[in-house]
Amino acid sequence: MTTLLHVAGLNAGYGSSRVLRNVSLDITPGSVVCVMGRNGAGKTTLLKALMGVIPKQGSVVLQGSDITRWSSHRISRAGMVWVPQEDTVFPGLTVREHLTVACRHQEVAAAVAAAATLFPVLGDRLDQEAQTLSGGERKMLAIAQALEASPKLILMDEPTEGVAPVVVQDLITAIRVASRNAAIVLVEQNVDTAVAVGSYAYILERGQIVESGAIKELHEDGVLEERLGL
Amino acid sequence: MSIIATLLPVDSFNIVVLAAVFVLIALGLHITFGMLGVLNLAHGEFLLIGAYTAFQIQEATGSVVLGMALAPIVAGIIGVIVERSILRFLYQRPLDSLLATFGVSLIIRQAIQLRYSANPRTVTDPIGGSFVIAGYNIPWWRFVIVIATIALVTATLALINRTRFGLNARATIRNPILADTMGINTSTVRTALFALGAAMAGIAGALIAPINTLNPSFGVLFLVNSFLVVIIGGQGSLRGLVTAAVLLGGSLAILQFLISTVFAQILVLVIAIVGVRTRPLIVDAVNKRRDRLAFLRSRRTRTPVS
Repeated sequence: MTTLLHVAGLNAGYGSSRVLRNVSLDITPGSVVCVMGRNGAGKTTLLKALMGVIPKQGSVVLQGSDITRWSSHRISRAGMVWVPQEDTVFPGLTVREHLTVACRHQEVAAAVAAAATLFPVLGDRLDQEAQTLSGGERKMLAIAQALEASPKLILMDEPTEGVAPVVVQDLITAIRVASRNAAIVLVEQNVDTAVAVGSYAYILERGQIVESGAIKELHEDGVLEERLGL
Repeated sequence: MSIIATLLPVDSFNIVVLAAVFVLIALGLHITFGMLGVLNLAHGEFLLIGAYTAFQIQEATGSVVLGMALAPIVAGIIGVIVERSILRFLYQRPLDSLLATFGVSLIIRQAIQLRYSANPRTVTDPIGGSFVIAGYNIPWWRFVIVIATIALVTATLALINRTRFGLNARATIRNPILADTMGINTSTVRTALFALGAAMAGIAGALIAPINTLNPSFGVLFLVNSFLVVIIGGQGSLRGLVTAAVLLGGSLAILQFLISTVFAQILVLVIAIVGVRTRPLIVDAVNKRRDRLAFLRSRRTRTPVS
């Protein structure tokens, strides 16, 4: 099968502190790949490095293009988008303006309508400032924005973390909808959620990949639970 | 009350003109400092560039209108050069950007002094003459300044609030990392914003040149008032900027009529200090009222989510 994203020998960190060490992974089109690990394992750092938010060494190839040295906006325009864990809104901008900012390939009205169909609650709050939304609504908005870019690959950083159970189900549905047209790299702490939506998993420990494989097999063999200390 | 009643009919247009000039000179700083957050001590020199461009073109071609049309272009291009070569590396270092723009201001001022000397220069009033309303003589050019100010504020509001560029600019300012990861070239947006601020200063300098005498220190005179207007008006608030400009410009016009210019400027500084001290209370009260109204509105439509 062709590879959508090929990462080899990735090292990244903050200042002189190295967090990721020689990380290599492959993402195939249409897959939902979970990145799992304990707190501080380097999951968020991995997504930030792939997205060009922090400097990195190694090789990152997206659909044949070496994007290792590309800036974040260029990576985004190449089809890889990011749903961050926090800081997901622009203070002072309304929900409609957030959806407009993210809209690149389609009419704004159509994109807003699509977002409101996927998340009806956002449709009720289009003219509300996004920083006044609840945590769950902000996650919905971030996912809706990611989908508007018609991406090939979505990097999602713990989209269900800190969200009420009733909203988690909506977000899982949205992740499934998103996976119809794009591959997803999903950082997820909750094993049940990861198993429900994921097809493959990489497990990080201290910035290194220590296990990988089909997520259901890792779950059935108890590897996930063992590695995550559950 | 009787003083104001006596004063206003005589000086009301001068109050409007001075308030307009305050808005005009602060508009560029509203973008470079209020929006971009650059403590731009070279703002006065961009006014200077605009004024001297009008003067230079007037001398070379005899057309001051052409000079005024070119003033924002020249100031904008120099703005691009300053941003790309210096400021783009200093957005996370405000004190360094303060020093850098101070250096830029010295270079521009000395370059103009070398080229044109320190001798006073004049830019011709492009229209000349005046018209009479209710028995009061109103100079045409001052009227043009007021109209141009209204037009520039309206255009800036429309650009920031109604265009894709404005939306990208607001997103870049509010959360640059997120904006970048959404495909916005934040570096280009910042360059464009700084150039726009410089161009606004350039056109302001050109417009007010005919009612002032030019010299290389011309821009410095307006720098303090520009910062006062932007700080009192609130960083990033164009409505606040206009309110502060009307407050300070209007106060200065009235006080200059009543007392000496020096004491008027001192009293305006006192008003500015009081404005800075009380602004958070006023903004807080306004925000609380707005939030309360938004909450009441959302309760009518809200469906519980989390």
